[in-house]
Amino acid sequence: MLASIPAEYVAPFERAWRHRELIRAVVRREFISRFRGSLLGPAWAVLSPLIMLLTYTTLFSITVPQLSAGMSITDYASGIFIGLIVFNLFSELAYRAPVLLHEHVNFVKRSIFPSETIAWTATIRAFTYAGVAFGVYIAFRLLTAGSVPLTIVLTPLLVIPFFLFILGVVWFLMALGAFTRDVAHIMASIVPVLMFATPIFYRVDQIAQMAPSAAVWLRLNVVGDYIEMLRAVALDGEIPNVVGYLALVAVSYAAFLGGYRFFMRYKAVIVDVI
Amino acid sequence: MSSEPSIRCSGVGKAFQLYAHQNDQLKQVLFGLWKKFYKEKWVLNDVNFTVNKGERVGIVGRNGAGKTTLLQILCGITFPTRGEFTVGGRIAPILALGSGFDGLLTGRENARIGAAILGLSRKEVDERIEDIAAFAEIGSFFEQPMRTYSMGMIARVAFAICAHADADVLIVDEALSVGDELFQRKCERYIAEFSRNGTILMVSHDLNFLQNLCDRVLWLENGVVREIGEPARIIADYRAAMIAEENQATGAA
Repeated sequence: MLASIPAEYVAPFERAWRHRELIRAVVRREFISRFRGSLLGPAWAVLSPLIMLLTYTTLFSITVPQLSAGMSITDYASGIFIGLIVFNLFSELAYRAPVLLHEHVNFVKRSIFPSETIAWTATIRAFTYAGVAFGVYIAFRLLTAGSVPLTIVLTPLLVIPFFLFILGVVWFLMALGAFTRDVAHIMASIVPVLMFATPIFYRVDQIAQMAPSAAVWLRLNVVGDYIEMLRAVALDGEIPNVVGYLALVAVSYAAFLGGYRFFMRYKAVIVDVI
Repeated sequence: MSSEPSIRCSGVGKAFQLYAHQNDQLKQVLFGLWKKFYKEKWVLNDVNFTVNKGERVGIVGRNGAGKTTLLQILCGITFPTRGEFTVGGRIAPILALGSGFDGLLTGRENARIGAAILGLSRKEVDERIEDIAAFAEIGSFFEQPMRTYSMGMIARVAFAICAHADADVLIVDEALSVGDELFQRKCERYIAEFSRNGTILMVSHDLNFLQNLCDRVLWLENGVVREIGEPARIIADYRAAMIAEENQATGAA
């Protein structure tokens, strides 16, 4: 079965595997330089999501009671928190990806550095932070609700395709950002808009009751779909729609391969233009 | 010394794409199939040469002759616009020194990443990191952030990493000139030792250094190989050409 998969579909994994030691070393470097010279160091990885969680919980549970209709405040807050973990992961990389090659210009231009691995290291870093934030969520759930649903064990099945999707997006934005600085500005204006087109503070079902046609469009938002499915398994204790899930995996994998090919196609030119 | 070629360049040419406007780069990506948005600047034109295994070849040439671009192509950092090249074995490039280092990290941490870039596994790095530290001879500075280093110390660490990478081909771009006398001699000894099994290609403006160390010298001018051969002869020709040009310049002024 495995042998029958054409090489081009697994090429990105092969290259990453070949450079795994390098990816590991660079990820380590990113963490070391991020925490060096900071008093609290790695504690910030826990503190930041905690502060975010408390702020949004307080703010939105007081000001937007309609959205939380039918839910307890802690359930609603938990839903927001899951949405924010996923969306912040996406937005951090969407902001950062266009400038990634400019940040690593010395590596790319002056040493034999496989530039496609930069996307891996940036994505791994962002997912590590999101993982810590998800740990904070579980602790929050255990404290407020006393338990987490059993379906939470399905989380990796969502994390893996989402990781690939994000990686594809990062490759695409990285390559595009190398050609023009505009991409960074475009992302800075698009991401806040996307934030409201993503079911973070609400659920697509609620929109579907109010405006069915808008809900259809919202479902095209891949990040939003992942948020909804993560909420299902980690909060509501439901198993997501299998067909919807498989479609999402297919779209994510297509984005992953597409992003990789786009990057590799322009890799040779990128070295000369940054 | 065997005679199988370790480096072979045939018809290598490199054109940089010059854009009148920064946005033209994006237009090229989007609409490149229909229209060209850049002018080409050929920095290398039809470069042909081979370097045999175990040979030490020096490259001389004026600024802008294409020396660094040629080395970057051979290292795989940038790609030739036309022509073909092969490099046999693992390459350790000592290019623009220390630019791949992170000033916030210590020499040790940077050395680990540098070695990983060259393809060493974590186990290999663990085994060699103390040797790298010993080779660099910068003492306790090895544990300090690299932003506190002098140029010479950065060069020492960079060279020490490459010296422990089990490379087959060493590519050196004017890296050694910033080290002090002692370290330069250490590098020379290392290069002499290395060339027993490995191939070396180095760019330098220190003509005496090249004459002492190289088996052959390649003179690159305006993106083509002007001459290649016996170091004493090529360097004499090169010097003569430089003097002639200087005389012409001062004569004209």
